[in-house]
Amino acid sequence: MIGLARKIVAGGVVAAVILPFIPLIMWSFSNRWFYPDLWPRPWGTRAWEYVLGIAGSQITAALGRSLWVAAVTAVMAVVVGTPAGRALGLYDFKGKDLVSVLLTLPVIVPPLCVAMGLHLWFIKLGLAETFGGVVLVHLTFCLPYTVFVMWGVFSNYNLDFEDQARSLGASTLQVMYRVMLPLTFSGIVVAGLFAFLLSWSQYLSTLIIGGGKITTLPILLFALMGSGDRPVAASVSIVFVVPAFLALLLSARHLGRRSITGVR
Amino acid sequence: MGELILKNINIRYGGEPVVRDFNLEVRNGEMVSLLGPSGAGKTTVLKAVAGLIRPERGEILIDGYSVQDLPPEKRDAVMVFQKPLLFPFMNVMQNVGFGLRMRGEPVREARQRIQEILALTQLGGLEYRKVHELSGGQQQRVSLARALVLKPAILLLDEPLSNLDANLRQQMRELIQEIQAQTRITTLFVTHDQAEALMISHRVSLLLNGRLRQVGKPRELFYRPADPEVARFFGARNFIQGRVKDGWFQSEFGTFQVPQGFTANGDWLTATIRPEDLRVSPDSQFEIQGEIQKINFEGSATRIWVRCRTTEFVVLTSEADFFPGQNVRIHLPPDKIRIFPPDSKEFEKIEEI
Ligand SMILES: Nc1ncnc2c1ncn2[C@@H]1O[C@H](COP(=O)(O)OP(=O)(O)O)[C@@H](O)[C@H]1O
Ligand SMILES: [Mg+2]
Repeated sequence: MIGLARKIVAGGVVAAVILPFIPLIMWSFSNRWFYPDLWPRPWGTRAWEYVLGIAGSQITAALGRSLWVAAVTAVMAVVVGTPAGRALGLYDFKGKDLVSVLLTLPVIVPPLCVAMGLHLWFIKLGLAETFGGVVLVHLTFCLPYTVFVMWGVFSNYNLDFEDQARSLGASTLQVMYRVMLPLTFSGIVVAGLFAFLLSWSQYLSTLIIGGGKITTLPILLFALMGSGDRPVAASVSIVFVVPAFLALLLSARHLGRRSITGVR
Repeated sequence: MGELILKNINIRYGGEPVVRDFNLEVRNGEMVSLLGPSGAGKTTVLKAVAGLIRPERGEILIDGYSVQDLPPEKRDAVMVFQKPLLFPFMNVMQNVGFGLRMRGEPVREARQRIQEILALTQLGGLEYRKVHELSGGQQQRVSLARALVLKPAILLLDEPLSNLDANLRQQMRELIQEIQAQTRITTLFVTHDQAEALMISHRVSLLLNGRLRQVGKPRELFYRPADPEVARFFGARNFIQGRVKDGWFQSEFGTFQVPQGFTANGDWLTATIRPEDLRVSPDSQFEIQGEIQKINFEGSATRIWVRCRTTEFVVLTSEADFFPGQNVRIHLPPDKIRIFPPDSKEFEKIEEI
C-alpha cells in the first residue's frame, strides 16, 4: 500500500515537472501553431535551425555569460553566506533578530524597487552596465537564501567535531578544509544551487543594472519573445532550462533533509 | 615521556568560576582518574589540558614545559571526547589516520601505525567500514585508536565508557586498562562512576563542584576519605557527631578511640561508618536499639534504614529476612569508624547536599 502510494506521489511529482515542458518541446518543433489546433502544423525544425544556426553565436554567448554570472554569484554567495550562517547558527549575539529581518528584506521588497534603488548608487560607483554590477545586484537576491540555508546547517552543527580535530593535531585552516567543509558540504551545495538558480533566472535586475549591455540568456529570451516568434522562443527556453536542470541533477544527491540538518 | 602538572588552575565561562585552584600531578606512565558527579568540571579540566579552553589563571606543564601558549594542535596531549565524534565522511582507517595525515606523516609509515593500533584496539578487519556501520563499542574504540595512533605524551579520556551498556563497558574498561599497561601512556581518565575510577586507575582524584577534594590511591579515597563529602560521594551515609576528650571520641552511639596524630581536644567532630560495615541483628546482642523504617532488596545485599533515636542509619547486609517496623539492634565496629580530622567540613554542611 505504502509502496503504491509512494509510486503515485513520485509519478505525480515527475509529471508536474515534465508536463509543462511538453508544449514547450512541441512549440519548438513547429513551424507555426495557431489557436484552436491541438497540434502544430506543419511540424518542422525551423526554430532549432535558427537557434543553432544563424542565432547560434548570439545564444552561445548569452549562455556563456549567464553561466559565468550565475557561477560567480553562487560562489560569492557561498563564500559570504557560509561564515555568516555559521555565526548566526552557532553563536548568540545582540541584534540577531534584526539580522534575520534585514535578510528577508530583499526577498520581500519587489525586485524592481531593489534594482531601481541600487541603480542610482551603481551609476555613481561606476558599477552600472558592468559584469560586477550585475553580479552584485544578483547577490542581493541570492545571499539571503544562502545565509538562511547555512544558518540552518550550522544551527545543527556540533562544534565538538572541530575541537576533536584540533586536539588530534589539525590547524585552524585544516579544521576548516578537512572537517567543517566536508561536514557541511551538502548544505553548501544546496546553498550554492539556490544562488545559481536564482541568478540564472534573473531578468529584471539584469536588465536594469546591466542596461542591456550584459545580455544574459533571459535578456535574449525576452527579446526573442517580444519579436513574437513562438517556436524560436520555445527552443531558446529549452536551451535556458537545460543548464538549470543539469545543475539540479548534479546536486540531487545533496538535496533533502540530511543536507540541511548537519551532523550531530 | 609524559608527565602532566596542573598548578592552581582556575577556569570560568563568563560568570561563575567552574574550576577553582585545581592542582594535580600525573606521573609518567600513570593512569589517574578524575572522578566527580556530572557538572563538576571534569570535561572543562580536560579541555584546558588539551588547549581547547584557556584557564583564567594557573599553569599547565607537560614534561616540565609550560604549554600555556601552545594551541591544541601543538600540544602533546590528545583528548578523546565523550561521544566518539567519528568523521562520517571517512572510513575507519581514514578516521584513525586523521591525526597522522594532519601532521603530514608519510603514507607508508602511517599505514603501518594504523594497522598496529587497529590490532591493539581489536578493530582488525574493519579498516574500510563506514562509520555508521559500526556498533557503539566499535565506534568508541575507533575514537580511542584515533588518539593512540598519535602516541601522545598525555592521553585525555572523557568518560569513554559512559555511552556503553554494562557488558560492553566492562570489556572496554579492561581493554583500556590493558592498553595503558602495555603502552605505559600517561592517562587522565574522566569518569562520574566511582566503581570505574577505583577499578581502573593507579590514583583517583575527586572533583566536587569545581574543587579537587582528594587525590590518592583508590583504597585511600575509599577507606580514608578526607572529609564527609568525599565519604558521601563514595557511598557513606551514616554520619555521627561526637566530642573528643583525651584521645576518645564520645558520641551517643558509643565511645571510640581517636587515631594517632589527632590533636583536637574538646572539639566536636564528625565520624562515619560505611553501610556495609554496620551490623544489624534482630536479637539483643548489640547495644543500640532501633526500628526499621524501610527496606530495599538489591539482590546480593539488602539496604535497611534503621532509626535510632533521632539518627537514621543505613545498613547494607547480606541477610534478607527483615521487615519494616521491626525492632532491631545495631553495632558500630570500632575498627570501621572513620573520624574526620578537625579541619574537614562540618556535618551541617553536608546535610544540605
Ligand atoms: N561552554 C560552556 N559555557 C558555559 N558554561 C559551561 C560550558 N561548558 C560547561 N559549562 C558549565 O561548567 C560546569 C562544568 O561543566 P563540565 O566540565 O562539562 O562538567 P562535567 O564534565 O564534570 O560534567 C557545568 O556547570 C556546566 O554547566
Ligand atoms: Mg563531562
